Amino acid sequence: MSRTSRALGVAALALAAGLAGAAMAQSGSIVFTSWGGTTQDAQKKSWAVPFTKETGITVKQDGPTDYGKLKAMVESGNVSWDVVDVEADFAAAAAKDGLIEPIDFSIVKRDEIDPRFVTDHAVGSFYYSFVLGFNPASLKGKAPKSWADVFDTKAFPGKRTFYKWSAPGVLEIALLADGVAADKLYPLDLDRAFKKLDSIKKDIVWWGTGAQSQQLLASGEAPIGQFWNGRIFALQQSGEKVDLSWEQNLTAADMLVVPKGAKNKEAAMKFIAEATSPEGQASFATESGYAPVNVKSAALMPKDVAANLPDQHTGSQINLDMGYWAAHRDEIGKRWYAWQAE
Amino acid sequence: MTVTDVPIATPSPVLAASRRRGRGFAPVLPALALVVVVFVIPVLALLLRSVLEPEPGLQNYAAFFASTTYLKVLGNTFLVAGTVTIATVLLGFPVAWFLAIAPSFWSRLLFAIVILSMWTNLLARTYAWMVLLQRTGIINRTLMDLGLISEPLPLINNLAGVTIGMTYIMLPFMILPLHATIRSIDPAIFQAAALCGASRWQAFTRVMLPLTASGIAAGALMVFVMSLGYFITPALLGGTSNMMLAELIAQLVQSLLDWGLAGAAALVLLVITLAIYMVQLRFFGFGQARS
Repeated sequence: MSRTSRALGVAALALAAGLAGAAMAQSGSIVFTSWGGTTQDAQKKSWAVPFTKETGITVKQDGPTDYGKLKAMVESGNVSWDVVDVEADFAAAAAKDGLIEPIDFSIVKRDEIDPRFVTDHAVGSFYYSFVLGFNPASLKGKAPKSWADVFDTKAFPGKRTFYKWSAPGVLEIALLADGVAADKLYPLDLDRAFKKLDSIKKDIVWWGTGAQSQQLLASGEAPIGQFWNGRIFALQQSGEKVDLSWEQNLTAADMLVVPKGAKNKEAAMKFIAEATSPEGQASFATESGYAPVNVKSAALMPKDVAANLPDQHTGSQINLDMGYWAAHRDEIGKRWYAWQAE
Repeated sequence: MTVTDVPIATPSPVLAASRRRGRGFAPVLPALALVVVVFVIPVLALLLRSVLEPEPGLQNYAAFFASTTYLKVLGNTFLVAGTVTIATVLLGFPVAWFLAIAPSFWSRLLFAIVILSMWTNLLARTYAWMVLLQRTGIINRTLMDLGLISEPLPLINNLAGVTIGMTYIMLPFMILPLHATIRSIDPAIFQAAALCGASRWQAFTRVMLPLTASGIAAGALMVFVMSLGYFITPALLGGTSNMMLAELIAQLVQSLLDWGLAGAAALVLLVITLAIYMVQLRFFGFGQARS
């Protein structure tokens, strides 16, 4: 009995500590939420640390990003996140649904941002490519090149891994592998995409987080698949023997948004300004292997690092169409999850 | 969290007396208030959404039951919960029995193992299973090195993975109530059975099983109901094609932001759970042995 009450006491303390933490977030600090792992570590180092040094505002890290939580916060009026890193299709949909604040462009310099990655309600966080990643040791030294190779289970046997959630990327990859020309991708031929995916469905292992994708690839559990280029970069940095193909790499940006009713709106805008500044973007790109959204950043970066970024592989690069996705997000999502569960 | 009630084989007279006098209720009030505020109200709010969003009506329920996918997920939820329940009974019974009759050193040791595994972080245990079960995992590597198999066995991202992981996690919830029941049986009863000419098998089926039925039922109910709503283990060890309802609800809430439909799915799960609980109450009371 005493053990139980002691346990309850501990739980109550933990709860109290949590509440106290929430109360402290009110003054002189903001909460930044991103996807965790190596990406958020780089964001912390490149953005939060210099920001705190300059402004005295501390930045608490939270995560991973959860759209359900964001919506719940906005609806309940109890918003504990100030800046959130989200996917671009969600940013577009959230702006439409009134879940995020307009960006204050008197604080954030809009003219420095690549126009592909800035809207009235969101500024690019970084831009990434979905690339074909593979583990040469598990493929007996053979190097896949194109998305069609990922669907070729004879030439490249083993499990393949793709992004689990309904989002721009996998459907496009299926269509490209099926021979659809890059400039004919949109509007997506969903029937054709799902049919192509059906052909390898039993060999697919889904990854839900970047860390999981890294684990699957490095262990050889899934020696080939679709990855965020920065996650492959991070694996290579840590000495793992993994490789990638840039052929038909698919780009999209993560976006920084401020939830409607955020408690520290002005500080949040200042943080976004810092994160998207030429220096903030250059530093983050150097750390993470993702490309900067600020057009002035490239000049500030070491040449050998810049050569490995998605913006150097524009030859066969394809931009994922966020306008299309924002308009069809719900309908594709329903079909996507139904197909997965079949 | 599920508040578990380890069944008491014979109701304590003190408890029964205080229950008769209606005392002992006041101390429960703070806990009850907490449950109402942090559980009942939010659940009701979610359920309300199921009939109010996107517009008032029952369209979310219509959509749920019209979708073969959602019905398949529901069926799969039962399949997994049922399989896990049967597996925990079969594996848990010998353990509970051993716990009750073994010399105290061994029974204490085994008890500690059961309890420790229950106290270990759920996520850590589930990841540990991933390390064991995956294609490049310890089990497959060993079997391949021994030359017993040439291709890795599919032990993860499928029904097998979910069943193995969840059976392991649910075992203590079967063992503990069963153990309490078995321990309360007077060993002399088995001597009596033997004296009356019962074979070992007869002693088991006609004495042991009836006497432990309430413990089995209590454990099975707990395991089955907890399994119905399980999320982390199926999400990590299962594949998308054997998704369970809790994962579907998480998808609707987090990714599709369709909270109306999520509320409907949650209510379906809740109604089924309560119905099973009612059946259990009707036949077995509060997991107490019928005298």
